[in-house]
Amino acid sequence: MKKILTLMSVIGAVSSFAGLSVSASAATPADTLVMAWNIDSITTFDPAQVNEVVTNEILLNLCDTLVDYDPEDESKIIPRFAESWDVSDDRRTLTFHLRKGAKFPSGNPVTAEDAAWSLQRIVKLKLANALSLSEFGFVPETIDQTIKATDENTLVLKLDKPYPSTLILQAIGAYRTSGVLDRKTVLENEVAGDMGNKYLTTHTECVGPYRLARWNAGEAVLLEANQNYWGSAPKLKRVLIRHVAETGTQRLLVAQGDVDVARDLTPQDMADLEKSGKVELSIVPTPQMLYWNINNRDAPLSNDKVRLAFRYLVDYDGLAKTVMHLIGSPRASLVQLGAVGALDLKEGQPFKLDLDKAKALLAEAGYENGFSTTLAIGSHPYSAAIAQSLQQNASKVGISIKIESMANAQLFSRVRSREYETVLQPWLANVPDAYGMVSRFIVNPDNRSEAKLGNLPSWRSSYYSPEMNKRAEDALFEPDDQKRIEMYHSIQRDQLQNGPHAFLFQLNAVSGLNAVLKNWTQNGLRAYYDKASK
Amino acid sequence: MTTRRSPRTANSRYRRYLRRALTTALSIALTLLGLAALTFLIGRLLPLDPVVAILGDGASEEAYQAMFEKLGLDQPLYIQFFRYLRDLANLDLGNSLTTGRPVLEEIARVFPATIELATVAIVFGAGLGTPLGVVSAMYRNSIVDNVVRVTSLLGYSAPHFWLGLMGLSIFYAMLNWVDGPGRIDVTYEFLLPENGTGFLLIDTALAGDWAAFGNVVSHIFLPAVILGFGAMAYISRMTRSFMIEQLSQEYITTARAKGLSRVRTVWFHAFRNVGVQVVTVIALSYAFLLEGAVLTETVFAWPCFGRFLTNSLLAGDMSSVVGCTLIVGIIFISLNLICDLLYLVLDPRTR
Repeated sequence: MKKILTLMSVIGAVSSFAGLSVSASAATPADTLVMAWNIDSITTFDPAQVNEVVTNEILLNLCDTLVDYDPEDESKIIPRFAESWDVSDDRRTLTFHLRKGAKFPSGNPVTAEDAAWSLQRIVKLKLANALSLSEFGFVPETIDQTIKATDENTLVLKLDKPYPSTLILQAIGAYRTSGVLDRKTVLENEVAGDMGNKYLTTHTECVGPYRLARWNAGEAVLLEANQNYWGSAPKLKRVLIRHVAETGTQRLLVAQGDVDVARDLTPQDMADLEKSGKVELSIVPTPQMLYWNINNRDAPLSNDKVRLAFRYLVDYDGLAKTVMHLIGSPRASLVQLGAVGALDLKEGQPFKLDLDKAKALLAEAGYENGFSTTLAIGSHPYSAAIAQSLQQNASKVGISIKIESMANAQLFSRVRSREYETVLQPWLANVPDAYGMVSRFIVNPDNRSEAKLGNLPSWRSSYYSPEMNKRAEDALFEPDDQKRIEMYHSIQRDQLQNGPHAFLFQLNAVSGLNAVLKNWTQNGLRAYYDKASK
Repeated sequence: MTTRRSPRTANSRYRRYLRRALTTALSIALTLLGLAALTFLIGRLLPLDPVVAILGDGASEEAYQAMFEKLGLDQPLYIQFFRYLRDLANLDLGNSLTTGRPVLEEIARVFPATIELATVAIVFGAGLGTPLGVVSAMYRNSIVDNVVRVTSLLGYSAPHFWLGLMGLSIFYAMLNWVDGPGRIDVTYEFLLPENGTGFLLIDTALAGDWAAFGNVVSHIFLPAVILGFGAMAYISRMTRSFMIEQLSQEYITTARAKGLSRVRTVWFHAFRNVGVQVVTVIALSYAFLLEGAVLTETVFAWPCFGRFLTNSLLAGDMSSVVGCTLIVGIIFISLNLICDLLYLVLDPRTR
């Protein structure tokens, strides 16, 4: 027994020594920006394919777009890799004048040929982002003529229709696909005519303040300052993004100073951090809308009154104070606040929880005894709580909602193939212009099943209105800016009453910042890593 | 006098070994084939769309169709499976659908972190659990026994996820005794060689960087103890029940009657007889730690195998899932083999 006790005490002593002997050091390197972020969703760095929030932001810090949004005011467009631009009188030709003398990280000179090839490549590859150009008439058959370099530093875009030039600057010039790629290096790494798609999964070859040094999936992304950058060098030489999936862990790391920024925080985490006083919160509205996606194909959901009743089942204020506290603001208009043509704060959110009104609307629609439906949710942290709140309110007016929880990949498949009744999901608008949401949620060129327009929410939900298609097109091509805004306002007012879905919240981007970090610059679209300092 | 074996006896002995080895190899191959077929089928039957996993929610139908064909999903299921087997025979587990990199490369990247954590945890769990189980059986129903049993019950029933968060809040955030989530501090991370073994304890020790080594120890300590606590609970409970059975045997009474000390009787006679069972329990706990500690890994931001598998599953990345399942199968089979070999050492009757 004595021997056993001795053995046990030795083990105990060794264990506690190992823990006690090494005291924790909590500081990030002075020249490095360290972030904790859930980066599970990164699958590639190819601009032709990147299609989600995390990689979008990283890519924008790696590759300069032609023009950019003013970090202080998203409605203004400022030069980035293009020093200036001209728009022809007929609004069909857009000419970008690129910076002279710039070099890629490889040392190769940057030319307008590279810029043209980079955009042509997006269209030719027909991957996820091809739509961002093809919707403005840039198709593989004619792309070599419609986007081309006229000299070393001049890039010309020829449009098929007179789109509003600010919209084109936003949707093409400031979009992630406009980053200029090092054509020579990319083509040296081409595999079976893939225009470097496989190579660019794990590499970035473009002009920007940083370059991608390492990406270990589900672990970390490391960026290093680009020595050949034309602009001023970033203040912090390196950016390390650590994959931390658990939000509670992120909260501990940022409070301890082991990371400078925590990017995914729950309302509870933020409340705790605010109390501690060690961490500052940065909260900015994003162009991401959380909506109750309703399939309009069959009765009773095809009935306008039933869908309007749904909008009165949402406890906007209650949710805003609890599960969505600081991470989202109620908004029922489909166009996000901050976008050109969006209804203002008050007019964009005329609803509140009103069960009597919902009941009256259901009776008008002929469903006074209610009905049963399903609500599918993915793995977003707020989904389950909101779904339960909706379920509870709906049951009070006789609607029985069955909640189906599933992986996001499964949810996407079902929505794309129209196999759902209702779904709770977010949508990221691609431009800060009403066009971005109207073109996806209202315009449906062909509602037939065989049209398979799985990328359009309007088609997915079987919402088809020739009249709305026409109004959306008229608004797009209206040359008078003020008139155009009015037309979008009128579309939104109509949609608040008769639209296919119930829009619930505009989501915020929240970051917890440790006190050592200075000049953190973030707008709804992205954070600017090169502006941060310590 | 020396004895000489007749060539005939030696021959039949080799033949027996050969037969045994062949049977084992065949059963391993069949198990793996079955596993591959089952996982492959489940992957195809699940309502997850790998194309959407790659292209995202907003891809056009044209892009969708192109990728569908590129992945070979337009082919009949049996052709897809035979293609998969053909690649498997060349040790090619395919490319991860979500990262585009070879699955084997991805697994190789996360595996050292897993083995490192699981090994430290099992050393802790087995090192404490086994003697605790024995002591508990020796002093059955005493205070010592009750303390061990309650502790085991805690380790068994308290969710590791919760223990992890509590451990971090107390020992990392409040007391600052250990380092927090992750395998190493950012400062040291940049100094690590890119082509090391991936085992940070080994890499830092080989480099002679003891400050970094200490940092790795400080990072691994808490998750390993929490994982090891669960293993300890299981191992000590099982050891206790094995020992109680042995201690009630007549040979124990005989040994004690012969005048052998209690400690000697327990450790040199009774414990030797439960060795085989304890080894099995430890091996099973180890296998579990290698593939299934997802929640602890998530809390401690540990880039591990279990999480890679779970994420792949959630993303609909079936090539990675099938690859991981095969690896888990291989782990279990290898640990079983090691156990079988250890039985030979521990129990002469099995030779």
